[in-house]
Amino acid sequence: MPEKVILSIGTKKGHFIAESAKTRRKWTIRGPFAPGVAVYSTLIDTRGAPKILFSSCNPFFGMKVLRSTDSGKTFKETKGAPAFPKDDGRALANIWSLEAGAGKKEVWAGVEPASLFRSDDGGDSWELVGSLSNHDHARKWQPGNGGLCLHTILRDGNRIHCGISTGGHYLSEDGGRTFEASNTGVGAGFTPDPYPEFGQCVHKIAGHKDAPGRLYMQNHGGWAEWEGPGGRRPDIGVLRSDDHGKSWRSIAKGLPSDFGFPIVVHPHDPDTVYVLPLEVPPRTSPKGAPAVWRSEDGGDSWRRLAKGFPKKDAYHTVQRDGMVIDDLTSPALYFGTTTGQLWMGRDGGEEWECLYDSLPPIHCVKVAVV
Amino acid sequence: MPLRGTCKGRSELQLFAPTVRAALAELESSQPALHRSICDETGALRRHVNLFVNHAHIRDRDGLDTPLSPGDMLIILPAVSGG
Repeated sequence: MPEKVILSIGTKKGHFIAESAKTRRKWTIRGPFAPGVAVYSTLIDTRGAPKILFSSCNPFFGMKVLRSTDSGKTFKETKGAPAFPKDDGRALANIWSLEAGAGKKEVWAGVEPASLFRSDDGGDSWELVGSLSNHDHARKWQPGNGGLCLHTILRDGNRIHCGISTGGHYLSEDGGRTFEASNTGVGAGFTPDPYPEFGQCVHKIAGHKDAPGRLYMQNHGGWAEWEGPGGRRPDIGVLRSDDHGKSWRSIAKGLPSDFGFPIVVHPHDPDTVYVLPLEVPPRTSPKGAPAVWRSEDGGDSWRRLAKGFPKKDAYHTVQRDGMVIDDLTSPALYFGTTTGQLWMGRDGGEEWECLYDSLPPIHCVKVAVV
Repeated sequence: MPLRGTCKGRSELQLFAPTVRAALAELESSQPALHRSICDETGALRRHVNLFVNHAHIRDRDGLDTPLSPGDMLIILPAVSGG
């Protein structure tokens, strides 16, 4: 069977699958699956026979995980969804992240209120990972505007990086048995101490398999004009680590704004990284002119990519899991907006076209070639 | 009717319970998927779910301790909300 590109798209009104041949010239879309219910996380698990999972977080009737084993033609609810132990006192409010683990059927979930769950059977049963979920800091984490969410789970062998809004970056170096806050150099604009031990509003963390110590972070920036206690905090929004997340430094110089949500690394070059800067405070495209920004030198310099985007009057917001890149030889970027547009940027973002312009508000997009 | 999908399509269930709380406890053991849909892990009723005993909302009675008598109808309805 010829390979195809699959986009798994979570929206405010359900889940969609878009697919195309590898040329990415003609797309078809189907859905919504779990119609009417918000989908904040999805996973295309390409280990073995492809499986697609998504979370369906129904404010009426609770949380579900749905799974497809036929490339997204049909979905069935898994036997169970993450749930806190009965005597824990916390109740699941949303599922923000689904990631493949090391084991064949191992899946991890990051949830709201910020906690980590693990499944060893592909998502049918789930166990709370207490080392992070019950961390001494956990009861001091605070919700950001999106809620108190664990949104990033990034695995590198026995190292697991988790991003929490608002909690910061937590690192395990023993496969998840223990976690420590690891935020040296990660700033916060909403505390008197500009560099607290934890409590930062991390938006997204990305890495690359060929540069395992290298990480990029989109943090909550936009504090260059801050006049309160602790003083101004310019350029704390886009960061890089070269020591497995032990310390971080700014790479925001040259961007029009250090505020944004997603951060994406090129599949074939760990020096090439993409961000989507948003204006502060409206959280929309600067001056109504959308653009993705690319660095090809690990964040030392940035170039604006806007060919194909409207030049004015376009106020996009792209959420933390709303931008991805495929892994074809000449990869394409994709992002979904909260105004329901799905864009594709060919040739690593050189040229953009709108694939769909009237989907429901988009929360997350994942891509795989299967 | 998403709730019916959690109990094999049935629209009515017969329970023997002296209070609403006891009825929910019975549902937790006999119909766990339905119970998960109307209560969270802490046992609290989900925010957008309303329970009525006959025509009276339980908030206007004794909440989860509202007594049930033989023949009473415990009605589960989602609240009107959305957008």
